[in-house]
Amino acid sequence: MDTAPVIRISQQILESRQSRGGAWGFVTNQDAVEPTCFVILALRHQSSVYVERALDALENLQNKDGSWPAFVGDEPEGCWTTAPVVLSLMATRHESRRVHRGIQWLLYARGREANWLWRWKLSTIDNKVKFDPAKFGWNWMAGTTSWVVPTAFTLIALQHASERGFCRSAQLRERVELGTSMLLDRMCPGGGWNSGNGVAFGVPLAPHLDATALALLALKGQEHHPSFQISLQWLVNHLAGSPSAYSMAWGTLAIAAYREVSPKARESLYGRAEDLIHLTEQAAEVADNGTLAVCVLALEAIAGDNVFQVKA
Amino acid sequence: MERDRRRLVISAVGLTIGGAATARLLPEEMLLRDRRPRRSRVAIISAEQYSERLDEVLLSGLREFHLNLRGKSVLLKPNLVEYIADVDVNTKPVLVGAAAEAFLKLGAKSVVVGEGPGHQRDTYLVLAESGLADQLHSQKISFVDLNRDELVKVPTRATYTGLEHLWLPRTVLETDFVVSMPKIKTHHWAGVTLSMKNMFGVVPGTKYGWPKNVLHWKGIHRSILDICATAPLHFVIADGVVAMEGNGPLHGSHRHLGKIVLADDPVAADFICAHLMGLDPSRIWHLDRAAHFLGNGSSERIELVAEGLPQRTVPFDVLPEFAHLQMRA
Repeated sequence: MDTAPVIRISQQILESRQSRGGAWGFVTNQDAVEPTCFVILALRHQSSVYVERALDALENLQNKDGSWPAFVGDEPEGCWTTAPVVLSLMATRHESRRVHRGIQWLLYARGREANWLWRWKLSTIDNKVKFDPAKFGWNWMAGTTSWVVPTAFTLIALQHASERGFCRSAQLRERVELGTSMLLDRMCPGGGWNSGNGVAFGVPLAPHLDATALALLALKGQEHHPSFQISLQWLVNHLAGSPSAYSMAWGTLAIAAYREVSPKARESLYGRAEDLIHLTEQAAEVADNGTLAVCVLALEAIAGDNVFQVKA
Repeated sequence: MERDRRRLVISAVGLTIGGAATARLLPEEMLLRDRRPRRSRVAIISAEQYSERLDEVLLSGLREFHLNLRGKSVLLKPNLVEYIADVDVNTKPVLVGAAAEAFLKLGAKSVVVGEGPGHQRDTYLVLAESGLADQLHSQKISFVDLNRDELVKVPTRATYTGLEHLWLPRTVLETDFVVSMPKIKTHHWAGVTLSMKNMFGVVPGTKYGWPKNVLHWKGIHRSILDICATAPLHFVIADGVVAMEGNGPLHGSHRHLGKIVLADDPVAADFICAHLMGLDPSRIWHLDRAAHFLGNGSSERIELVAEGLPQRTVPFDVLPEFAHLQMRA
């Protein structure tokens, strides 16, 4: 299956949508960090002026404490987007002081339940949502608890940082182990991940395709774990026929990463490639730049170049 | 002379400290401008089922309000949370479509639908799975993902959360006429989710995350008040044809109420909806507080322009911690 034409057309559309500031918004002209990171990754092999301008724009947005905001004009307290920025800077520039500062910020950022008082409250009084607060990861923004997507992105970024030699400290290993245990703890009872927890008010929650895909990408090395196996199975079974390019792209990225460990994943990949090509055939109609960029990355992953894959 | 000056300084400092302490002890709404209209209008309309007739029913109900919409832009904000097969979780697409049609017939320049789901990052997936994408496509109505719209920093107009400002989507701020279209449901954290709680969906995930967890930590009731005091909200169309009781907003049971509630005041709308649910609105913290400054809760200031409240209501099932909300005969 030739994915190259769709990839190239999508990349050209993304290039044409770059803002004057050098970044990308989701669908509007307000530059936002998340879509900018994904577009940089989608254009990383082009070595073009677009990527250079975008990297400069991203670097200029870094907060004094090493973190990144969510969008241009946001408060300087930093948030979860620091992880995708670190990922995209590492994938495009080999050495950068800014990357190190971003990694340091991620190592010290933590969900609110990391504090013993909140941990105690969440495990005794405030326990309608079932989870082990001793197992924490990363939050969307400061002052809140850990959630699946920011934890998964940070785990992927930190493991890439270790692989690429940016940081191999004991602290990094500890945070990766703790974050991994958090994801395994928050899994839905039948496999897969919702946004935060698997059970609330006594009811099992339904998994989300994108959260499940990201959690699986972050859990490289846990393939033997039964929770991993049933979650990958859930994703393979539920991704087919998804009407959304965004979920299809993230799901494909996860399935492509594990094609060697699951024959079913491998078998399903051809069908998902067809789905993705169908969903992005009219790339100009995919208004969300983040979604279009992730589609490009998923199509590349089918061909064996998966930017989110942790090598372990 | 020097002693007088010292006395003056001491008095000024004392007054400042005393004033600040008193202000802290007063209920927040006493410090807020009273924005309640003199009278609010609410229409309870019977609709036994979701059908093509909703267009006519809604249009005739809206005509009771004599709205001046000529040349104005309208934003419909339904409750689009998540898709769960065979469970009525979201505002019914056919009702959203009927509302769009009705506002256009009443002279609106444009109608768009916008929502920013709380947990599900893939907005389009919920839009498609819920059937709303097809409904809007068939009517050529645009959809705006409020989680990813352009954001504008707006000073909060209430003080319940301590947040000095909120980032809100430009689409919400620049639309002439914003309509909250909740599904009438119980809610496991807030007791009920009606037109005011529905406005959580205008708070953008891009800034506040999925879910908008910072608002939970600030207190759901407090956040509802700050959002509704700050974001524009002009009208309510509440979907109570099939409502939800028990462990709402996702895992409760269907409750056939057979009603649509229209109102020109969200507080009045939610008071009436709570009555229809057999729940006491004055025991729901954010409603009780809102009725002191934001809208009307008192029956003397609410005019029912269509049907009256039913004589007898079997209260909605609620989780045990909300049993005190149930009105008993």
